[in-house]
Amino acid sequence: MSEELVHLHNVSVGYDEPLIEGINIEIFAGDVIAVLGPSGIGKTSLLRTIAGLIRPLAGEVELAVPSRGGLGYIPQRLGLVGNLTVRGNVEMGTRVGLSRWYPPFVPVPSKQRNYVDQAMVDLGIDHLAEQPVRILSGGQQRRVATAKTVAQRPKLVLADEFLGELDDDNVDIVMRTVNQAIKAENSAMIMVEHHEELAKGVANRIWRITGGRLVEELKR
Amino acid sequence: MNRRFFIFCGIIASLTVYFFLDLVGDLGRLSGGWSNLVIFFNESLWPPEWSVLEAQSYPVCEARFEFTCSVAWLGMVETIKIAFVATIIGFIFALPLSVLAASNLSPISIALPARILLAGMRSLPSIIWAVLFMIVFDVGTLAGICAMSFYTVGYLGKLQFESLEGLKNAPLESAKAMGMTRFETAWLVAIPESANHLLSHLLFMFEYNVRHGTVIGLVGAGGIGLYINTYLKLAQYDKVVALLIIVFLVVVVIDFISMVLRSAVNEESDVERPSWSSIFLPGAISSALHPTPMKQVPDGEAE
Repeated sequence: MSEELVHLHNVSVGYDEPLIEGINIEIFAGDVIAVLGPSGIGKTSLLRTIAGLIRPLAGEVELAVPSRGGLGYIPQRLGLVGNLTVRGNVEMGTRVGLSRWYPPFVPVPSKQRNYVDQAMVDLGIDHLAEQPVRILSGGQQRRVATAKTVAQRPKLVLADEFLGELDDDNVDIVMRTVNQAIKAENSAMIMVEHHEELAKGVANRIWRITGGRLVEELKR
Repeated sequence: MNRRFFIFCGIIASLTVYFFLDLVGDLGRLSGGWSNLVIFFNESLWPPEWSVLEAQSYPVCEARFEFTCSVAWLGMVETIKIAFVATIIGFIFALPLSVLAASNLSPISIALPARILLAGMRSLPSIIWAVLFMIVFDVGTLAGICAMSFYTVGYLGKLQFESLEGLKNAPLESAKAMGMTRFETAWLVAIPESANHLLSHLLFMFEYNVRHGTVIGLVGAGGIGLYINTYLKLAQYDKVVALLIIVFLVVVVIDFISMVLRSAVNEESDVERPSWSSIFLPGAISSALHPTPMKQVPDGEAE
């Protein structure tokens, strides 16, 4: 039996009005879940609710991951700091693995530096390490955001359309790296994806949002 | 819509005229104004007395270039030094206060008091701060530095917390979801992300403080304003005009340097590299002379 990481108890998701209601679902270590559905149906809101960025309108989200560093979030707009270098952004992911009292102006220890270097090599962005993120292309920025999360080594990864601007080769690189990280850390991933074929190729569970309900379409 | 707009404009115009007449009272006072100004200009203001650029007779000038012993040079250099020190001190205090005052970085229980503190420091003009600090420290540059620093904290703090509040949500949300502390979020995300604006505000504040140096000098807080005040008291208005022209030229040069620096910090920034005409001419005329080219949005990989 795999370790349970998230349990949603009768959760309603939305802002003023619920977009999705009555979500009862568990997420286990090793799961790669793709959330499908048309635009505006509540996929991003679901991720933001699990990430603790918005409160559920009803029900309870139970997270069995550490509050610091346990959750990695790649928003649709990636959440990178444009003025920092690629290394600076990726390094940010490793800081949450340190004590909350570790000063942010002190360089990270060598163990965390190794995580950063490895993540950049795995995602093929090591040659861009000292470049500011703002000058990179959309595809390169997506790989930086992924490297940041991989270096963080979270128990749960929430990714919102993070494969969007990547070509096929880079989708392979990104998904291979993320899958390796998930296996190594015994963690899980929930990804919002528009491309169904792509999602079905990489996920072991498929959730579809339709008519204000979340339906588990595939579990393997 | 148009009718409402014209009615609104009419009400504003009527109120303006009413308040003006109420405040000024006798319009007859305006009748001789222009001729008085012409006489004053011809007899007292023009031509400027450029002896302010000559070395003072005492103390004896031993510098290689004599003009470095002049009233204009000494006053201007002192003003720039005061403005520089005050801007840096102000920035050091304004930055943490602006982080505390930004509602997307701090809870409202901290943001509100920080905003009230900044508003309090800003509500007194620097000339009033100068008078207060002169009572504490006596006449001189220390009072000038303290006054300008206080005002800088209030003014710069407001500009900076507004910049921080204008940050995109995604990096902050990502940091929050990861479990970063508020200090880490401010240091690693918010400040670097808004660095271009913060630098831009810092340069603007330095330029502002140089201009304002003349004002606080008038009450004895050091700098070129002190000399301007002396000449005003002696009714040597031609020397005052000469010093004001020098201040104007220095401010123009600082403005130009500041705009070049601001345009250099970010190639995608909204600050364009300036032309001289954009400094001397009103914006509409300048942009007509130098239309901004359309920006190219690069497509494809930058590799």
